[in-house]
Amino acid sequence: MDKGSLLHGVWVFGDYRNYFQNRVTLQLIAKGRGLAETLRTRVTVLLLGEAVHQYAMEYIAHGADVVMVAEHPDLKCYQVESYTNVVARWAEAFKPNILLGGATSFGREFFPRLAKRLRTGLSADCVNLAVDPDTGLLLQTTPAFGGNLLAEVVTSQHRPQMATIHPCVFKELPHNAGAVGRVVYPEIEVKANTRVRVLRSRRQQVQRDNLQDAEIVIVGGRGLGSKNQFKLLFELAELLEGEVGATRPVVLAGWADEERLLGQTGKTVKPKVLISIGTSGALQYTTGIKEAETIIAINRDPQAPIFKMADLGLVGESSAVLPLLLETLRNRI
Amino acid sequence: MIAFRESPISAHHNYFVNGMLAQGFVVGDPSSNDSFFLLADVVPHGEIRPRISARLMDEEAHLLLELKANRIGRNPGKCSIEPFLDGYRVWRSSGNVLIEVRTRVFANGYLTLIEARLFDEHGHLRVEPKDESIWVCGGECRFLAAPLPEGGSTKRE
Repeated sequence: MDKGSLLHGVWVFGDYRNYFQNRVTLQLIAKGRGLAETLRTRVTVLLLGEAVHQYAMEYIAHGADVVMVAEHPDLKCYQVESYTNVVARWAEAFKPNILLGGATSFGREFFPRLAKRLRTGLSADCVNLAVDPDTGLLLQTTPAFGGNLLAEVVTSQHRPQMATIHPCVFKELPHNAGAVGRVVYPEIEVKANTRVRVLRSRRQQVQRDNLQDAEIVIVGGRGLGSKNQFKLLFELAELLEGEVGATRPVVLAGWADEERLLGQTGKTVKPKVLISIGTSGALQYTTGIKEAETIIAINRDPQAPIFKMADLGLVGESSAVLPLLLETLRNRI
Repeated sequence: MIAFRESPISAHHNYFVNGMLAQGFVVGDPSSNDSFFLLADVVPHGEIRPRISARLMDEEAHLLLELKANRIGRNPGKCSIEPFLDGYRVWRSSGNVLIEVRTRVFANGYLTLIEARLFDEHGHLRVEPKDESIWVCGGECRFLAAPLPEGGSTKRE
């Protein structure tokens, strides 16, 4: 393969941390494949670290054409400066058309810095990507103005066209053990990071995520009115054998822990039933629940946007509805 | 311009050569009758054992052993093979290890590591181990994109 066949492709940053739970890279490869087929180019995954053989094979199995690898002891731990140096140099040399990454905690730190280095734009937390059939430009759909509208952003002048995408927005391709591809090892210069030195790293104990695995999820919003009202959701969840989620205002108010946050900056859930109580339906929140099979919304405002996506809606004060609902369930179960 | 190395890889099984993943590679010419070669052939999807064939000499260019798909063929050096759970080891009659092959099992694939210090029919060093990889230090390493035909030439991938 000559350099020419590596040029102008669709690149995906390979975030393999906690690989078997964190699937965002695989989801972006799948989306990247669709974009690459439209643009008649290749999907390349960037893989930085030490002894990352397994992940190179996994990315090929999930649809990558090429995996571009940098292996070095100093790349073992995710460090934004050293990773930026490597990827920026590659991007300057191979001039990718599109560069995608997950809107994870690392992606949110890494991609803005990389975009600045490459003097290009970045659309953060996109909820969709497509190719404009007339111009071939990447249409990056992202919430704007507090989530009240969706903006379609194009990067018409600069390359690469960069975007971060929230996990679970796209579906990954199934593992294909018969897939073949290419692995490319460009030369790298890893400079010792003089400002940050990793003394020790320790894997955080990852417990099963009850919220993301739950079949029934009850979500509370600021419309509940108080922390005490929010606490009733736990009783409701116990009766229904479900889990409790929260919107951003609820977490900011201290009614719920950050780990219960759903939406663009939190978790994405796909329960069979989701009961949304006192939530208006802001886009930042609904991004995280749109895959739910059935949505039941309870809100006092009949014009609340949440009713547009709900399968069943109930207009009423949550302070009145919730106790009735609990009482009914207690009597029946 | 930025220099790069590349090879074809499989989602199923690869070898680790020259610090790179490769689904198959060959050093030397397997179609010759008496010269050195080391063939790590492509493992088709569904099989899990690596396919190593070789004609191996000692430092003084004497033929020690021929391997045909992991089985001993001609064996003037009276070498012996020791299988174990994840691979095998070939011993020289002197008691030294000639070549060791281990396959690492991942969640969805396999990686075979070869450790050997091998010489050709002129007594020149052709491959040696470094870290976990085998490195070709004399002659060309040709990567394979498909299994090599029986007794076939090593057409460049």
